[in-house]
Amino acid sequence: MRQRTFARLVLVVTAVCILLPMAVLLVWSVTGRWPWPLLTPENYSLRTIRELFHGSASLPRLLLSSCMLASMVAVLGTFVGILTARSTELYNFRGRELARGCALLPMLIPGTVFAVGIQITLLRIGFADTAAGVVLVHLVVAVPYCIMIMADVTRAVGTAYEEEAMVLGAGPLRAFFSVTLPHLMPGVLSSLSMGFILSYSQYFTTLIVGGGRIKTLALVLIPYIQSGDRALSSVYSVAFVSSALLVFSVFEFLLRQTRLDSR
Amino acid sequence: MLLLFPFILILTLVAASCCSVLAQSLGYIPAFGLTKVTLSYYVDAMTNPDFLRSLVVSLQIAGCSAVLSAILGTLVCAAFVRRSGNAALYLIRVPILVPHAVAAVFMITLFSQTGLLARIAYTFGWISDPCQFPQLLYTSGYGGAILAYLWKEIPFVAYFVLALMSGVSKTLGEAAENLGASPLQSFFRITLPLSMPAICKAFLIIFIFAFGSYELPMLLGVTYPKALPVQAYLAYTAPDLRSRPAAMAMYGMILLVSVLLSALFSAAVQRLSHRAGGAA
Repeated sequence: MRQRTFARLVLVVTAVCILLPMAVLLVWSVTGRWPWPLLTPENYSLRTIRELFHGSASLPRLLLSSCMLASMVAVLGTFVGILTARSTELYNFRGRELARGCALLPMLIPGTVFAVGIQITLLRIGFADTAAGVVLVHLVVAVPYCIMIMADVTRAVGTAYEEEAMVLGAGPLRAFFSVTLPHLMPGVLSSLSMGFILSYSQYFTTLIVGGGRIKTLALVLIPYIQSGDRALSSVYSVAFVSSALLVFSVFEFLLRQTRLDSR
Repeated sequence: MLLLFPFILILTLVAASCCSVLAQSLGYIPAFGLTKVTLSYYVDAMTNPDFLRSLVVSLQIAGCSAVLSAILGTLVCAAFVRRSGNAALYLIRVPILVPHAVAAVFMITLFSQTGLLARIAYTFGWISDPCQFPQLLYTSGYGGAILAYLWKEIPFVAYFVLALMSGVSKTLGEAAENLGASPLQSFFRITLPLSMPAICKAFLIIFIFAFGSYELPMLLGVTYPKALPVQAYLAYTAPDLRSRPAAMAMYGMILLVSVLLSALFSAAVQRLSHRAGGAA
């Protein structure tokens, strides 16, 4: 009984710690003046919202470019994830363990070092300061997570259904696409959502490889924080978090749908 | 293996990038007319007290963030294991999708000397002036950056470990309880040790990330001592191109320390789990 109370206490504290700063952020994002030592703002203002839509960094354009980059990364990352997980989980070959170990490797190379290094490589092949270069560097960040997610479902689904389909006369491609892939869907959706979020929140890699020409929401957020304007940095943060949450919730919804369907 | 091809391509890119950094850090930059390979940039860095200070600061940030996140994250995970409603599961994933920069905004609005906590302390009469509130942000201890990492990484650890721990707890943990172990005994002697692989992996990921990342120490840090990635970026963007190899030597050090620590840590974990397996 004591353990249960303790567990509940931990959950409540966790929830408060997660939600309280977000609530304060919401208040700050529409604050006009909030002088020390008041507990609530002195007045509210829509200056921040106006700046968000009509300022130098207008929201719709930023959302569009961030989402396009992130979708590309999500799709490519998941594609690589499906292929890699399939080969390391379902096939036996020499170096299989090595390949599995390497899947996590990019996570252990600090992003700052990698970003600077890839910029040198990209300059050489002419991809520097382009969207393609940014997608590539985000992809490296996202791929280990995509592989990890896909490896779990691939292992769980196995090859049994596929073999059955092939025994019944389906070609290997058809067996994969119409039998195995639907079973992998929960993993595919989680991997897409993870890839999207990871790319969406990249700052340093975009800064270095995009050379300032590729603008994303995460990139313009930083100068506002540096300027010390709490209201403006809050409104951009709210825009960021709510758009990310929206995408995340859509994927969660789809995930629940596929689970219901398969029941 | 044809299926592995795209992944191998990506790995090659990572390897090539690391090699470019290392080559430039050894003073090999043909584009600038530098072709003499030398270790002198590393020697310069290692004998520079500012660099050593930065290295120590970065190790401190990474160490504190990773140790505290791993411990508290495991605690949260344990609380989640047997009663994870959908809403709770949704909630702990929220910090994973909030970027570090926004976590920095949280720390500024809550913990700065004019932040919400200081205002609450004033309302209760505990302090009468903002500067009496303990300074957490913008100090050489990098408390603000560590707090921001904790906000993001404790839920990350909890989520990362959850799958393994709930599996273990629902099978072996409950079996132990049926055999007469108390819930605490079954947690500390069965569930926790068997969840260690995931906890260690999460620890390593966080350590390496916090050691090498730029945003938080830049946003919540001080001008001296700077965290290593901040120092390296300053040198990298310096208008004087002659400082380029020195910047690369700093990035090289970040890389080498990360790789070395990962290897040591993995080896230690492997040895320990071997020993645990042998004893069982």
